[in-house]
Amino acid sequence: MSTLSTLTDAELVHRCRSGDPDAWSELVERFSRYVYAVCIRGFRLPEADAEDVFQEVFARAYTHLDSLRDDAALRPWIAQLTRRLCIDSVARGRREQPAAEPIPEEVARDLDEIEEAFAVREALATLSEPCREVLDRFFARDQSYRTISADLDLPAGTVASRIARCLGKLRAELEGPGLEGRSEPSSESGG
Amino acid sequence: MVARSSKGSLPDAKGVVAQALALSDRAAPLSHTDAEAWEDASTALRAAADPEGPPQSRGALEQALDRAAAIPLEVAELGADVAALAAVVAERCEPGYRADAAAAVALAAGGARAAAHLVEVNLAMRSGDPRLERARASEQAAAESARRVLASIR
Repeated sequence: MSTLSTLTDAELVHRCRSGDPDAWSELVERFSRYVYAVCIRGFRLPEADAEDVFQEVFARAYTHLDSLRDDAALRPWIAQLTRRLCIDSVARGRREQPAAEPIPEEVARDLDEIEEAFAVREALATLSEPCREVLDRFFARDQSYRTISADLDLPAGTVASRIARCLGKLRAELEGPGLEGRSEPSSESGG
Repeated sequence: MVARSSKGSLPDAKGVVAQALALSDRAAPLSHTDAEAWEDASTALRAAADPEGPPQSRGALEQALDRAAAIPLEVAELGADVAALAAVVAERCEPGYRADAAAAVALAAGGARAAAHLVEVNLAMRSGDPRLERARASEQAAAESARRVLASIR
């Protein structure tokens, strides 16, 4: 993991503004999956149109970064930019559809899911490696406690307790500071 | 229910509930696929036993029994997981709910045992199949969770 990948969005924006080319690469890397997901899964753009939108999003981000008022709001800014360009792309494809038409409900729901998935992904990245590992194994790979406990050499009950504790941390990260304690519990349940 | 009612003694209750829901989501489709697999295996067995029926290859019968074993194995492993999670809840929940959590552990252990038995029956033609060992291990793990929790409340 490079140093740039650990920067907050606000810090990354600051580095981009200072003209650091590596910071720009990191910005594209950080948001490329998100932009593609909005284009392909959210708006169901054809591959070629998605590629055009992708290029345009980052070109505009590059030229208009100074217009971003809150550096920490990079993601919602890129989200808005991507949605607007996707709508323009759809409208070009269906000339009868005005660009200002509201986003269809189905697309809006998919976009919400994409937003949520990326928010969870970002929050996961802030957790410790042991937390990321048990959450990934249990929820993403559908592994049993038995499999996890065998691989990590932990009792099954401890795996369940650790998952519960890590979910609490993930929730706290998603909801922001002050809602839950972030300190590490001193012990885990055995058994 | 017990975890939701024990937020005082179980600070990570929401995380326990999330795991319980995930396990429930994994279990729900198995009831349907298990019924289908059972039907397919029964049909294959009937066909194999009927001397006047169409010829059936041994491979087709084994394939049907194989699938009929694979799903109970998943059920047995899920039973062990449910028992382990319920045991965590039973050990840390409000005392007034401990018996309910212990009952959940015992039920999960019973489900794991029944499913492991079905795995054994369906794999009777394959004595060395490693899935037999996995099913037994899940049954034993669930039984151990139940023994531990029930002993603690008696």
